[in-house]
Amino acid sequence: MHIVDGALSAPVLVAGAALTVGGITLGLRQMTLERIPAAGVLSASFFVASLIHVAVGPSSVHLILNGLAGLVLGWTAFPALFVALVLQAVFFGFGGITVLGVNTFNIAMPAVLLGLALRSLIANAAPTMAAVWGALGGGGAIALTTLFVAASLVFSGEAFVPAAKLVFFAHIPVMVIEAAVSAAAILLIKRVKPELFTGAPATAFA
Amino acid sequence: MKRILLSTVVVGALLAPLPALAHKVIASVFPSGKVIEGEVGFSDGKMGENVPVAVTAPDGTVLATVTTDDEGYFSYSPTQAVDLTFRADFGAGHVAETMMPKADVAKILGKAEALAAVQPQAAAPAGAPHPAAPVAMTDAERMVEREAIAAMLRDELRPLRKEIAAYKEKNDLQTILGGIGYIVGLFGLGFYMAAKRRLARG
Repeated sequence: MHIVDGALSAPVLVAGAALTVGGITLGLRQMTLERIPAAGVLSASFFVASLIHVAVGPSSVHLILNGLAGLVLGWTAFPALFVALVLQAVFFGFGGITVLGVNTFNIAMPAVLLGLALRSLIANAAPTMAAVWGALGGGGAIALTTLFVAASLVFSGEAFVPAAKLVFFAHIPVMVIEAAVSAAAILLIKRVKPELFTGAPATAFA
Repeated sequence: MKRILLSTVVVGALLAPLPALAHKVIASVFPSGKVIEGEVGFSDGKMGENVPVAVTAPDGTVLATVTTDDEGYFSYSPTQAVDLTFRADFGAGHVAETMMPKADVAKILGKAEALAAVQPQAAAPAGAPHPAAPVAMTDAERMVEREAIAAMLRDELRPLRKEIAAYKEKNDLQTILGGIGYIVGLFGLGFYMAAKRRLARG
């Protein structure tokens, strides 16, 4: 899911960086005192999740766990995931520094979109129903991310259909697993700490 | 309660920092006698089969496109002493780039020329009856022999080189914990600043 250095054209890199700066700014504005610990934990989870590999035939893909961050954090997922991506690039060599903007956008934006769409549903639902929405968010974020990745490749000159197919189908197992993980996490949060969702989505830096 | 426990266990197990290999494209090139040999593959050990590798000069012109064999190896005979860039493209955003500096390329070219010059000489006396056993070898023979030994050594060292490449890609626990430490520290700092701001406001 991490696009590496040298795979994308310059305009795509610049556009990705600009969009990511916007996302991070929005996210930081909404980062309230109460939300910082959650952002830290999800950032760390995302950082480690990429080391968990799922064998798919001859190849393997790794977990991403961006959907959960989007569901819990909303726009704040942008800075949280950005920090984790920087560290992944530096420590593990995943992706790279020049593609950081594009990678952050591709991974964080789907999570934020699903988070915005599902957050109120999760807040008002019973724990079991919330878990279903959580599964949708977790799996959906991956699906959307594969499309974003394919789009980035297309704007850099690759043909869309083969690129999208390759990335999308390779990640179907990840979607299933992430849906399950997100559902379990949401179920847990709804039972143990439901105020994480009912708390009004903060609008400004408090 | 049981359900909560179960989900905690599931999430916990999935989040345990398993030392797994990264899924990253790696490429390396090295001089191999009078050619440049290279290797491309994924860091999890899978080699790149039939992957096109473009060889480019510093000015951007593509000098050649070679294809890797079943084991991810390719070789290229340089024709001019310039910085060479090798770019392997697996498709779907998986690319890897590596380069060989001018000096190394020039060395290979020099060797190729020297070998080409001595080869006919070395072949000629082979048919002639050998005089007394340990005669001093001619320069040409010595050079050919040295090349043969070098080729043998390269074959012997290849698995070792592969292992080192794999080792370099390994993420050990220290690295993972270090990364988590950075995250905790960074968010702690953010928390501190946000708390300070709130306190200052009363």
